[in-house]
Amino acid sequence: MDSTDLFAMREMFNRQHIMLCFNGPISRSLIEEIGNALKNYLQAEHAQPSAAMDVFGTYIEMTQNIRHYAAQNGYQEHEAAATVVVARDDGDHYVVSAGNLVEREDGRALLQRVESLAGLDKAQLKASYKEQLRKPRDAGASTGAGLGLIDMARKSSAPLTASLRDTPDGRAFFSLRAII
Amino acid sequence: MSNLTIPGSQSTPEITADWDAGQLSMQGDSYPENSFDLFGPIIDWVERFLADSNKPLRLELRLLYLNTSSIRAVMDIFDTLEEAHQRGRDVAVNWHYDHRNERVAELAEEFKEDCSFPFSIVSYS
Repeated sequence: MDSTDLFAMREMFNRQHIMLCFNGPISRSLIEEIGNALKNYLQAEHAQPSAAMDVFGTYIEMTQNIRHYAAQNGYQEHEAAATVVVARDDGDHYVVSAGNLVEREDGRALLQRVESLAGLDKAQLKASYKEQLRKPRDAGASTGAGLGLIDMARKSSAPLTASLRDTPDGRAFFSLRAII
Repeated sequence: MSNLTIPGSQSTPEITADWDAGQLSMQGDSYPENSFDLFGPIIDWVERFLADSNKPLRLELRLLYLNTSSIRAVMDIFDTLEEAHQRGRDVAVNWHYDHRNERVAELAEEFKEDCSFPFSIVSYS
């Protein structure tokens, strides 16, 4: 890409109604700052408070999951990278997507998890959520791991979708999308 | 006998615990990366209060968005209250929410389903 011509990129962002996007190492404070911008955009668009909270919550779960995953795998700070896109679809919905590099085996397990959640209705998702919430966890464990995906699925108006692409370094890039 | 005061931040609620009044208040959003750093001392305070004092305990909540790790921590607090209630202690939760934001009421409602002590969900405008 011609580094001085962002026109094509801008056209694509506009066409896809992208409100906000980020690509790179994501720190705790960046998550907060971008989240703050997202809140302001949603407020400026007069989004319903419930919808704004669901979009914000999905963004937080996705990005914090990525940070937790990187920490658990001992990735360096610069490897805790994420690609995050928040857009509007052609209707009344918001689309929150995030992707990150994962170990291939973990990526395949995640894909399966997303697919299994897609088959559940709202009542089943709630039951699954409560069950996960009550599961014993390691002492001092800080994450809501496992719970986050179900939480996003419950906030979404359509099943979560995900994809996985192998990368040359032996890992894979995992993408997750929620329609709110 | 001790009080707790934790100022709020963008991602953490303002929290005050008043021993003499038997009241724990929390308000704001809660989405820290590590919720146990934040809620660990709160859970300790609640446990100490229930062990060392005979007075009633009130939780006054104006919490908004909670990430899933905060939800787990809040559930731990409510589980502690539930055990105390089963032993005959006077405990209660009042969760206040802006009537325009139904999501907060739904969140509170899901917590309430698992509690048998007095749990009020109160809207304000």
